[in-house]
Amino acid sequence: MSANRWLSTGNYFTSYKEEQRIFATHLDRSVLLCFLAVLFAWPLLFEVSNKQMFVIDNIMIAMIAVVGLNLVTGFAGLISIGHAAFVGIGAYTIASFARLLGDTHMVLTHGWPALIVLAGFMGALFGAIAGLPAFRLKHLYLAIATLSFQMIFQWTINFMDFFDQGQTISVGRVFWVTGRVGRSDHYLFWYYVILVIIVLVGFGVRNLLRTKYGRCLVAVRDNDRAADAMGMHPGLTKVYAFALAGFLAGVAGALHAYLYRGVGIESFTLHHSINYLAMAIVGGLGTLSGSFWGPLAIKVLDMQVERLSEWTGGHLAVATNLATALKPLSFGLIIVLFLMFEPRGIANWWRIVRSYVKLWPFRY
Amino acid sequence: MSYFFQLVISGVVVGSIYALSALGFVLIYKSSRVLNIAHGQIIAAGAFITYGLTVWANLPIYLSFVLSMILTFFLAMSVERIFLRRLIGEPIISVIMVTIGLMSILDGLIYLTPFGTENFSFPPFLPVTPIAFFGVSISWTQLVGVIVTFTLIAGFSWFFKKSTVGISMRAVSDDQLASMSIGISVPRVFGLAWAMAGLSAAAAGGIIGNITGLNFDTLHAFGIVVFPVVILGGLDSILGAVVAGIIMGLIQQFASGYLDGNWGLNGTGEVLPYIILLIILLFKPHGLFGIHEIERV
Amino acid sequence: MKKYEMNRWLLILVAVFMITLPTGGFAKVYKLGLSLAITGPTSDAGNPYSKGVEDYFNYVNDTGVLGDDTIDCTIRDDQYKNDITKRNFEEFLDDGIVFYLNYSTGSTLALKKDFEEEKMPVIPASFHAGNLVDSNYIFLPIASYSAQAIGLAEYVVKNNKGDMPKVAMFIHPSAFGRGPLEDVQKAVGAGLQIEIVEVVEHGKDLDNTAMLKRLISKGVRYVISQTVQSPVATMLKDASSLGLIASTFGEEGKLTFLGCHYTGGNDLVALAGDAAENFYWTTSYVITNEPGPGTDAQLALAKRYGRDEKAANSHNYANGMMVAQVATEVIRRAKAKDKEITKETLYQELLGMNGDNAFQPETTVGPVTFSPTDKAGVDTLQLYVVKDGGFQSAGKPFIPEYTAKIK
Repeated sequence: MSANRWLSTGNYFTSYKEEQRIFATHLDRSVLLCFLAVLFAWPLLFEVSNKQMFVIDNIMIAMIAVVGLNLVTGFAGLISIGHAAFVGIGAYTIASFARLLGDTHMVLTHGWPALIVLAGFMGALFGAIAGLPAFRLKHLYLAIATLSFQMIFQWTINFMDFFDQGQTISVGRVFWVTGRVGRSDHYLFWYYVILVIIVLVGFGVRNLLRTKYGRCLVAVRDNDRAADAMGMHPGLTKVYAFALAGFLAGVAGALHAYLYRGVGIESFTLHHSINYLAMAIVGGLGTLSGSFWGPLAIKVLDMQVERLSEWTGGHLAVATNLATALKPLSFGLIIVLFLMFEPRGIANWWRIVRSYVKLWPFRY
Repeated sequence: MSYFFQLVISGVVVGSIYALSALGFVLIYKSSRVLNIAHGQIIAAGAFITYGLTVWANLPIYLSFVLSMILTFFLAMSVERIFLRRLIGEPIISVIMVTIGLMSILDGLIYLTPFGTENFSFPPFLPVTPIAFFGVSISWTQLVGVIVTFTLIAGFSWFFKKSTVGISMRAVSDDQLASMSIGISVPRVFGLAWAMAGLSAAAAGGIIGNITGLNFDTLHAFGIVVFPVVILGGLDSILGAVVAGIIMGLIQQFASGYLDGNWGLNGTGEVLPYIILLIILLFKPHGLFGIHEIERV
Repeated sequence: MKKYEMNRWLLILVAVFMITLPTGGFAKVYKLGLSLAITGPTSDAGNPYSKGVEDYFNYVNDTGVLGDDTIDCTIRDDQYKNDITKRNFEEFLDDGIVFYLNYSTGSTLALKKDFEEEKMPVIPASFHAGNLVDSNYIFLPIASYSAQAIGLAEYVVKNNKGDMPKVAMFIHPSAFGRGPLEDVQKAVGAGLQIEIVEVVEHGKDLDNTAMLKRLISKGVRYVISQTVQSPVATMLKDASSLGLIASTFGEEGKLTFLGCHYTGGNDLVALAGDAAENFYWTTSYVITNEPGPGTDAQLALAKRYGRDEKAANSHNYANGMMVAQVATEVIRRAKAKDKEITKETLYQELLGMNGDNAFQPETTVGPVTFSPTDKAGVDTLQLYVVKDGGFQSAGKPFIPEYTAKIK
């Protein structure tokens, strides 16, 4: 351990316990605390329009889902092309309460924190079920198994009258200690709820990864037979990874249901699963910070491209096809370019920037 | 009874189109262990090229069908060269994600053409009266589709069995290191596999386009529809693709023929393949004809 | 000195007032929003639709339909995704729109609660009857899909020879298809003389031979479709190759195919080719195959803004044009009454659009009528049939009777 707990020029660990600290230096901790304080304070200082808040809320919900996906795909190495289905399970947990009790029932509007947790557990349950093939399957085959789970989920919802055949099931406005959360505060209110959940999830996952239960994921990813030999049960670990991912996806789904005040199958299709995967990849697989960078990058890119295509559509009369093409083209290119040139994702840039700042003015 | 036979015939017809669509998948997986999610887009591209050559360049449809197969051959080859060559040896998720990215890029490129948003149909070139026997009928489009499918599949089988290049491709799929050591260029084999997949996709696109009309959404959906087929057949077996394609075609036809409308069920033909897919994955993950890989630590 | 300067300022002020007053104040800009699928699923309909809306509002601004006032309609692509539609709508709200145009069935249902809360008058491109349930602010431009399907069924009853007609319904596997089916079933319950023998929910079937043979063996004579063009085209092609398409309406031993708004149009002919022959289609729009004031207006507008042949002749272009026309009309009426243009006044104008105040756009077969109890615009439908590769009108415009009976 370096003598100075505020600054450290290198690696001075003398015990595993020190290496496993969440914050290497006091400076790290203070910076993060300041950053969190800013996150909580800024909406009070600036005027934010509903649309902007809505976009931010959306990005943060995607972050929660992607942390889950990163656990199963990044840390445990199990490709999931059905993550949106788990998010959907969470959302439809809320929706089934709305269908059973009516969309403005007390349980739904007052008991929402409990329902969000419940949705997480439902996600975990279905995650574990969908993960069962992991006992026998690996790699590609598992990817396809999750794909078929996605398809079956979509069909089931589309087929069932109970879920209104995939049409939007509305969810009422929630209550807080100050009363009903109205239209003007809706997005701000959920910003704070989601922010609190993100902070909890972030610390939770960071802590998980320094325990036996987190490290076993990585061990199974790197070599499941070796992990088996060391006393871990690879099959159970994989199912447990799916359950963890499902839990976070379920929470994200419930938040989605409340934020949109409605649940429709269209938000949980294969396309969204692919989008989550793209976020995880662009952010950086197997990193926690990547789970935050990825959704931010993809969603911001999406919005910018939308603006660009609107501009081309407005300025070049014949360019409507070009405007149409820009979005899939840029989405595809960004995935491919990241995989070809920066497979470790934005998290790697973040790491480089951090170490540069830390060592400045020295180069290395 | 004739209803039953009609279902059988329709199932075989639809199934062989599935088989042809799945063929490209299997070719790529067999040689390079890449799961090509963008296959549906290549099928659509093949169909659109055929249409463009027939209607805009005024070529006879048979010629443009063949030309489009050749063009798609080179298209797929360059796709491999540009996007996938770099990723040889990368983890499997990277490769899958690249093909997902590729899917988006091809989507974008197709949206640049009128085909992205508009509908077209091939000019009719076959007799319209179907062939009927014993109360079962099959349309000329379907018959030609089946014939093309089986010709192509026979051609590929011969190619892999007898020709030098085909044998070297089999060698690569068996053991990359060993084949490299005897002087086979592995990247070239990968490129060739993609090219041949492109060729078969163009054929599939032409046939499907003739049956459904040219609508981008309908065509690229085939990239996903063939998943259950390739898994049932085993990812790396051409024979498996054929058998599984036909089985899937039959299952779908029987499901929608006998289940739909009864017991409040509907659209079972759409989801049943995926349920079967999950069951196969649980009990026989390597499919009917796939090679069981043995893993060592 | 000081006083003199004050006077001079006063003079200038008066002069400014004199110049601006006679023109009735500054030209106003009315903000509208449209979110629709220009790309992605159903973009073959959304693309010409957006062009129709865009061109008509440009026309309004260029030719001074509203005097010096102009309409600023932001058009956003939502790729048929409800999430994006919601975001676009929130943005439009931030911009302070006074009228909103929506597109898909899914997003209209998803945003229904928001429209209610915001008291925002909305015209969607979806004619789903379910849009109107528990809703005050959604207005369908033309008769709902249910009314269309019932209208087709009534036409079958009137023109069928022999016993009670046996009908099959070929529907989209979603609420878009199932909603109208339920309403037809209700109409049958209320005494409509047809027998629904089978309901087929289509998937991405490549082969409908077995299904068609089954229908024939059950004695079905008519197939009413409520879906989009592509599956109908596949079915027609199969039926045509089996020689099962009736060449006259209700021919014995054959099938007569009929369909609602989104099954037909030039796109169907483009997809199905010759197999589309003798397909019956109903909508409330006039089509450009036939000469008339509507056709002239539509083609002139498309020409003015340099649209290609395909867009100019699309019934979805007419659809977009007509919706924009209704929006412009309510603004014009509110202005004529010297009301301030707000969501509320436009809503009231829409509700008052009936009786003598009914509005007749060029591109529809009947007048647009709205009232607090009737939220479907053009109640009149026109039947078209494909002859020689193009739609032609069959019979006179009609209003389905059973839509009122099942309410």
